[in-house]
Amino acid sequence: MSVLIHADPAEPTPANVPGARLGLRRFTRNRFAVAGLVVIVFLILFCFLGPVIYPTDQIHTALTQVNLAPSAAHLLGTDAVGRDELGRLMYGGKTSLIVGLAAGLLATLIGTLWGAAAGYAGGWVDAVMMRIVDAGIAIPALFILLVVSAITTPGVPGLVLILGLVSWLVPSRLVRAETLTLKNRDYVLTLRAIGGTHSRAITRHILPNAVSTIVVAATFQVADAILLVAYVSYLGLGVQPPQTDWGGMLSAGLTAAYSGRWWLILPPGLAVILVVCAFNAVGDGLRDAFAVRGRS
Amino acid sequence: MSFRYLAGRVSQALAVILVVTIIVFGLLHALPGGPARGILGPQASAQQIADFNQAQGLNRPLPVQYLYYLRTLLHGDLGTSYTLNEPVSQLIAQRLPKTLVLTVLSALVGLAVAIPLGMWQAVRRNRPVDYMITGLSFVAYATPVYFFGILLILVFSQILPWLPPQAPQGDTVAQVLEDPAGLVLPVVAGAASMVAVFSRYMRGAVLENLSEDYVRTARAAGTRPRAILWRHVFRNSLTPVVAMLGYYVPVLFGGALVVEQLFNYPGMGLLFWSAAQASDYPVLLGCVLVIAIATVIGTLLADIVQRLVDPRVKAGAE
Amino acid sequence: MTDTESVLDINALGVTFTTETGDVPAVRDVSLHVRPGETVALVGESGSGKSTVALAAMGLLPENARATGRVSVLGTDIVAASERELRTLRGRTMSMVFQEPATALDPLMRVGDQIAEVLRNHLQIAAEEAAREAVELLRRVGIPDPEQRATAYPFQLSGGQRQRVVIAMAVANRPDLLVADEPTTALDVTVQAEILDLLRDLVAESGTAVLLVTHNMGVVADIADRVAVMLQGEIVETGPVEEVLLRPRHAYTKRLLEAVPRLDAAVDSPDAETAPATSTPVIELRDVSVVFGRGRRAVRALDGVSLTVAPGETVGVIGESGSGKSTAARVALGLVPPATGQVALFGTDPARIRGRARRALRSGVGVVLQDPVASLDARMTVAQCVAEPLRVHRRGMSAQERRDLVAEYLERVRLPRALASRSPRELSGGQRQRVSLARALVLAPRLLVADEPTSALDVSVQRSVLAVIAELQQEFGFGCLFVSHDLAVVQDVAHRVVVLHAGRVEEQGSTTAALLHPTSEYTQRLVAAVPLPDPVAQRERRALRSAQ
Repeated sequence: MSVLIHADPAEPTPANVPGARLGLRRFTRNRFAVAGLVVIVFLILFCFLGPVIYPTDQIHTALTQVNLAPSAAHLLGTDAVGRDELGRLMYGGKTSLIVGLAAGLLATLIGTLWGAAAGYAGGWVDAVMMRIVDAGIAIPALFILLVVSAITTPGVPGLVLILGLVSWLVPSRLVRAETLTLKNRDYVLTLRAIGGTHSRAITRHILPNAVSTIVVAATFQVADAILLVAYVSYLGLGVQPPQTDWGGMLSAGLTAAYSGRWWLILPPGLAVILVVCAFNAVGDGLRDAFAVRGRS
Repeated sequence: MSFRYLAGRVSQALAVILVVTIIVFGLLHALPGGPARGILGPQASAQQIADFNQAQGLNRPLPVQYLYYLRTLLHGDLGTSYTLNEPVSQLIAQRLPKTLVLTVLSALVGLAVAIPLGMWQAVRRNRPVDYMITGLSFVAYATPVYFFGILLILVFSQILPWLPPQAPQGDTVAQVLEDPAGLVLPVVAGAASMVAVFSRYMRGAVLENLSEDYVRTARAAGTRPRAILWRHVFRNSLTPVVAMLGYYVPVLFGGALVVEQLFNYPGMGLLFWSAAQASDYPVLLGCVLVIAIATVIGTLLADIVQRLVDPRVKAGAE
Repeated sequence: MTDTESVLDINALGVTFTTETGDVPAVRDVSLHVRPGETVALVGESGSGKSTVALAAMGLLPENARATGRVSVLGTDIVAASERELRTLRGRTMSMVFQEPATALDPLMRVGDQIAEVLRNHLQIAAEEAAREAVELLRRVGIPDPEQRATAYPFQLSGGQRQRVVIAMAVANRPDLLVADEPTTALDVTVQAEILDLLRDLVAESGTAVLLVTHNMGVVADIADRVAVMLQGEIVETGPVEEVLLRPRHAYTKRLLEAVPRLDAAVDSPDAETAPATSTPVIELRDVSVVFGRGRRAVRALDGVSLTVAPGETVGVIGESGSGKSTAARVALGLVPPATGQVALFGTDPARIRGRARRALRSGVGVVLQDPVASLDARMTVAQCVAEPLRVHRRGMSAQERRDLVAEYLERVRLPRALASRSPRELSGGQRQRVSLARALVLAPRLLVADEPTSALDVSVQRSVLAVIAELQQEFGFGCLFVSHDLAVVQDVAHRVVVLHAGRVEEQGSTTAALLHPTSEYTQRLVAAVPLPDPVAQRERRALRSAQ
């Protein structure tokens, strides 16, 4: 999955990266990106402030109210055990967003450290580290997740960890490529030639200049993590009821699809699609605005 | 192409496969109850496990065990499924070709749609059509495959009874191919994400090539725009796209997993799925290994195809 | 005023570009004409608009450009013409040669096929005949073994050969007008001479009108009949080449010509005897070899190179592409380890010492590299860039002391103090190189390594930057290793010269001796190939060269 849609590691970032002001202006001109940002903000408000405006009980079942179609009392109907679906959407969204965000950021963190180390070290260290990454990429994430689901049922922190461990591979390749380019920039070479240390080169020049790449990668990773979370319940790794997330609601509602209870699967499905699109659009916008590698 | 390059790539691939076996080995030993449970099953008694450990030499240091593990692998022995009571390698041998049919078809359909689509988008850059297709690409990418599959079934099997909701059930590839209608929905479901990714990629590659100097030279020589596009830009744009194919192979297999489960297609994905429900570890780990190797080979092949197509590397001039 | 005899007639041309940051008028009210058989050179520095005029002549302006006025080629108005009309003209009546041969050709198509394509664009001929014609054209542009070469891919040809292929494509249909935009700028000076000879022969043979865009006065003197000088979108002077180059009238033309370094007996090179021979050289390379890659594909970038730089002297390292001159600079900087041989920096071999001592040794070196954009980290302010060596080696300095020192050095390189708080993005190329220089000198180094420090700058800016370097060297007495491909520049700044070719030292000695009376055949060829910005003298040199 993931950054395949966005990046080509063969292309180096230009040395004349546009400044913050110009980048911001370019970003705001990108309609998709701005729309994505709006959607993200809206969904965050929806999930976290929504329950304050529209409080529902997501813990207890109400077996008298099972599988009701949308009505004035329940704007999106009720689920198989009588809980309000709209409220459940907000409740599940919290988990989806938090897990997705945390896992995406974790993946980016690990990937950045690994990729930067490999790129800066070069030589056989780089080769070995990248072969490990290649091996990890060769095993489809869904397969690993399914194996894990056969072994254990993780809670939310465990889920974040597992998703992070499965996803750090692609950002590592991106960051490595970026590090390689930056390592050979004239200003870094100059620093080394006059006796500057490696650590200075890394902390003062390479990392700050890699920030735009890392931020873009992080955005795409969050998008992919949220998408992966949607698969996770389908695979049996999801959070246990009464907790839920959009993926869980989606897979729980799949059986309902054949019986015409659309309110159980369309809302969570659309929510997932919407938020993943939004993060991808923002990532795309950031990447074009700041001339990060892999311009489309 | 130069033998040196080929040898280099193959040894790289072997190194990767080696790392994969280490990962799988690690997973095997990470299982609760150790590999004994993994092989004997969750019902095994403590005594059986102890006997097993003794017999298998699981008291020996890990690196030694790993070497024994490698040896069994090289003999083609992937263990025995305890739910189906058959050797894993046999199960996989029977199921893998069918999965390959599905993934290869999905890939071909995906590329056949994505490449012209991406090119069209690039030529109509920033016009409404471009935005629309970009939007659809985003949506297609963001839609979980199982959700899309269900929608397909709902629309094309229930509301419009055009296509069967279940994939062909045959045992062999030949049998599967006897029911092409049943393959349509699974292939489309598997190809959707691929179309999204590769059309974006092709669009990007074409746009980049359109601003290259050689296009300017062709324009200055009076070459017609269509000729420039198809004779020059198209070929140059394909190269990076073919390169990405290699990395997309694991995604295809991952998708196959979900698609097979959804459409009840008796391939390796479904085998894997059922094994996961039953905690049938030999099958699980054997499948992971085989898939990973298939991916590495797929990437290697894609790389070789790219080198064949791009004369710059043909002569070994890297 | 339309001259009906002209092939190209430009009348009051104006071109404005719409960019992210507003409208940019690139060309203002330009008028010129080119008659059959004549070569008109359009000369100017960056931003003068000369390339825009060339593109306008071909109707190849980008989408964000708006053109006003009239550009007519054999009667057809290019500005007003439709794309379809232009297509029938391009490649047949008018064609263009661009600057960068490395990217001008389709990398996945054989060169013979690309030439054949141009032929078939305008002629109704079969593929086999086009292929034969293509081979003939390759022969005509001087490619040896044309039948074989026609099946080659661009990456298998050298830069000069690729440019010949581009020229073959341009003359394939015997155009009336040839527009060349910096056709030799990306080529080595010896290759440039050959390409200019080729162009001259082709034009003489076919009577084609040529509009040649260049910034190089030597090229103008070599090939042009008439010259138009552009400044900020306008033509400030025009006339026959001898008039404009030898008796310029406009102040800008005079300034431009004065700033051009010329490889001349009249030039006063720094005296090679100034540095006492007994002092320890600031940098010494002893029999250094550098190998890149392994096995069959190993490349010997340097092969047994020895050179020294004494305190207070500037040693120019000259070479064409692939000569190893940049590698030599990197060896001196410690960025590339020598495979064999030793390096002595201020008398000590840096490879023999470690850690802090080695870094302290390197603090005596200042570095200025070629690319003004990449040499400064755009995320820092100018002050932070200049102060970086202080932060590395003078930790004890207070912020105020640093600020003062930075301001002092900015002044020394003739930059206003106010620039200290700006970002490098806001500076021009020349200003950036000066900041680089200030950074290089802030620790009062004993060695300055400059790798093509002014090659990316306009000629007038180049002159002032070189002057600053010379002044500061007088004042501080540092030794300077000056790498360049431009012999005239080196003649101007260096006491001694080392000529590199394919990784080996071809010639070494005082500047006057090595450049004006070279002993090695390669150096003689190199020097003979450099075009002088004096049409009369250049004609004589050409005659001498062809007599050889």
